[in-house]
Amino acid sequence: MDSTMLQLLIPVVILQLVLAIVALVNLIKSDSVNGPKWVWALIILLINVIGPIIYFIFGRRN
Amino acid sequence: MQWMVIFKKELLENWRNFKWVWVPIVFIIFAIMDPITTYYLPRIMESVGGMPDGAVIDIPMPSPPEALMMSYGEIGLIGVLIIVVISMGLISSEIKSGVYELILSKPVHYSNYITAKFASMFLLVSISIVLGVVAAWYYVNVLFGDLGLVETLVSVLFYLAYILLLLAIVMFFNTIFKSQGLVAFVSIFVIIVLNVVTNIYKHMATWSPMLISDYIGAYLFSGQMETEIWWSTLIAIGLAVVLLIAAIGTLKNKAME
Repeated sequence: MDSTMLQLLIPVVILQLVLAIVALVNLIKSDSVNGPKWVWALIILLINVIGPIIYFIFGRRN
Repeated sequence: MQWMVIFKKELLENWRNFKWVWVPIVFIIFAIMDPITTYYLPRIMESVGGMPDGAVIDIPMPSPPEALMMSYGEIGLIGVLIIVVISMGLISSEIKSGVYELILSKPVHYSNYITAKFASMFLLVSISIVLGVVAAWYYVNVLFGDLGLVETLVSVLFYLAYILLLLAIVMFFNTIFKSQGLVAFVSIFVIIVLNVVTNIYKHMATWSPMLISDYIGAYLFSGQMETEIWWSTLIAIGLAVVLLIAAIGTLKNKAME
């Protein structure tokens, strides 16, 4: 791992973190979630990128 | 300014349910993943190991246009899937839940209702795609060599015509089916059929909107605009307009019943 490699990968990691954090904040705040909240929390945290996407598409009830 | 009211309401709603945050981020991630993994593939292979001694890993590096086309491929696959899924309930869910009757009991024009919703979704998706491609352009420049920003932005504009058509397809089926799943399924099915038909009759259907990404590739490689790219773009925009008019007609018929 040299420094250029790190510089290139840091933005990707930050974006993935922001995505997961936004999904988690949304999950904690929302009152209407499809299914139990702790399951969604696990999905968001354990499945990279895809987890938050699945939550945003299927986890919220309008 | 009824149209503006609906448009703003849609924008606000997309902001409230975080779509303005997550959709752009997702598009950026998927657009830059491919150039990065391609660049580091030899190193990844080395570190994973399992190669016999003396084996030489020789993976040719793509040229800058090739690398950017990889990102387009990613957007064309996962991006399109996300576009279909986030717009599958745009109208169908409102028809199902009865919100739609509430809205149209007021003197709201069907055309305003549909075009405003369509415009707000297209704005969100367009901005996401532009951000994704520009991020990919940056990475391609750092990793693979020079690629013009102007050419890249021009290519995005053509690509957005293709996306406009896809969104119009989803909008149209939104007015036909009440079930969101059915809207998504039929839309994707139609997109696949259009792709297959285009590929079978490639030599004849040079104006097919499904070839826009191919023409973008050719343009990025040569810097030359083919006339076909203009035709396929015009057809894409024309079809999108026809589909939206058809969607308005379907809603009007629904109201008669």
